[in-house]
Amino acid sequence: MGFSLTVNGDRLSCAADPATPLVDILREEMHLTGAKPVCREGFCGACMVLIDGEPTPSCLLPAALADGREIRTVEGLAPLGMLNRIQAALEASDAVQCGMCFPGMVVSLTHFLTTRPDATRDDILMALTGNICRCTGYERIVEATLLALASA
Amino acid sequence: MMLGSPIENIPVGPRDAPASIYLAPSLAAALGALSEYGAAGAPLAGGTWIMRSPIRHEPLRTHYVAIGRIAELTAVRIGSDAIEIGAAVTHAALATALADLPEFAGLAAAAGGSANPAIRAMATIGGNLATSEFSAADCVPALLCLDADVEISGRDGRERIGLAHFLAIRSTLAPGRLVTRIIVPRAERNTAHARLPLRRAGDYPVAIVSLSVRVDAADRVQAARIAVGSVEPSARRWPRLEAALIGHPLDAAAAARRAAELTDEFIGRDSVDAPAWYRVSVLPGLVRRAAIAALGS
Repeated sequence: MGFSLTVNGDRLSCAADPATPLVDILREEMHLTGAKPVCREGFCGACMVLIDGEPTPSCLLPAALADGREIRTVEGLAPLGMLNRIQAALEASDAVQCGMCFPGMVVSLTHFLTTRPDATRDDILMALTGNICRCTGYERIVEATLLALASA
Repeated sequence: MMLGSPIENIPVGPRDAPASIYLAPSLAAALGALSEYGAAGAPLAGGTWIMRSPIRHEPLRTHYVAIGRIAELTAVRIGSDAIEIGAAVTHAALATALADLPEFAGLAAAAGGSANPAIRAMATIGGNLATSEFSAADCVPALLCLDADVEISGRDGRERIGLAHFLAIRSTLAPGRLVTRIIVPRAERNTAHARLPLRRAGDYPVAIVSLSVRVDAADRVQAARIAVGSVEPSARRWPRLEAALIGHPLDAAAAARRAAELTDEFIGRDSVDAPAWYRVSVLPGLVRRAAIAALGS
């Protein structure tokens, strides 16, 4: 018996082992490679997706627990090719470096902008404790987030 | 008797994967399934420890019973004499529930400052207490300071035991038994939680000091409970330091000096992130920080 996953609005059936980390199903079965399995421990945030609107490390979510829940990956955050607010700010701030952490950063910050419109720099830093940039490019990421908040 | 159908594994040859994850719709259903599975089964709450089993080279169980959607286990009930925390309450939900209760400032800091935001939204209080291999659990020392009890349930009934006793027996709990609630008495007290991660946030703490004190009108300590986490394999209280504080004004520098005289009773654990001696050596500093935080709460 399999289960069904709703990913970026599409309902898909899945026959994977129930404990398979969601990130592996997204990448290997659905070919949505934005989420990256980097640390597989929930420390780095590179595999972050939205589950029922909440940022969740998809490396730690067994696929069976995603059954019936709304999954949104970084690929689903720019419908019709229109960048969302944080994506546009990151591009405008020239904040993107190697790209390993960025899908996770975009997912976390997309949620952050909708829930913390009055956030400070410190709030942003605390919100990003679970998103590690191996290029250490945090300053531009934070500046871009402040820019996105100011442009709301 | 299980309600609904477990999600079965598709047999594809030898692999290290469980045969099923059963999403229990009720506590009775969860306890029934755990009883049926026996030693082949285990509860699965937030999954933040179990899903990392392959990294630790540990086999998964054959069956898991997912308890994260059971309403009875995901509520925090705040009464006049005690608070009751469902075992599947997440760290984030617990921190939010305690935000307006100053007597629980230490526990709120433990729950709200552990790991990172996304993990706090997944990891549960029951998992934090029941995972005996996880030495750096933040909520364990915080709850030791609060005289917490743990409720353990099985298909045949439930029992309530002190947290220190639970920590001593947790690795030998019989199959089919499940932590269902944590009960914490309410009292007038100042509490604090001081932790030292290697980065400012997001890492496991090298060491933890949780503190709960009750002071009299002259600010002298009448009662003290101090617990140390992450230094030894399991968190425990520090009775000699507690006794040393009684009858004196709570002074952070003096408390740190007394702590420095008493650290010889700890045998730190060695690991990749910190050597044993370092975990012990930072305790006086954490005692000082905890005392300062408690004085301000």
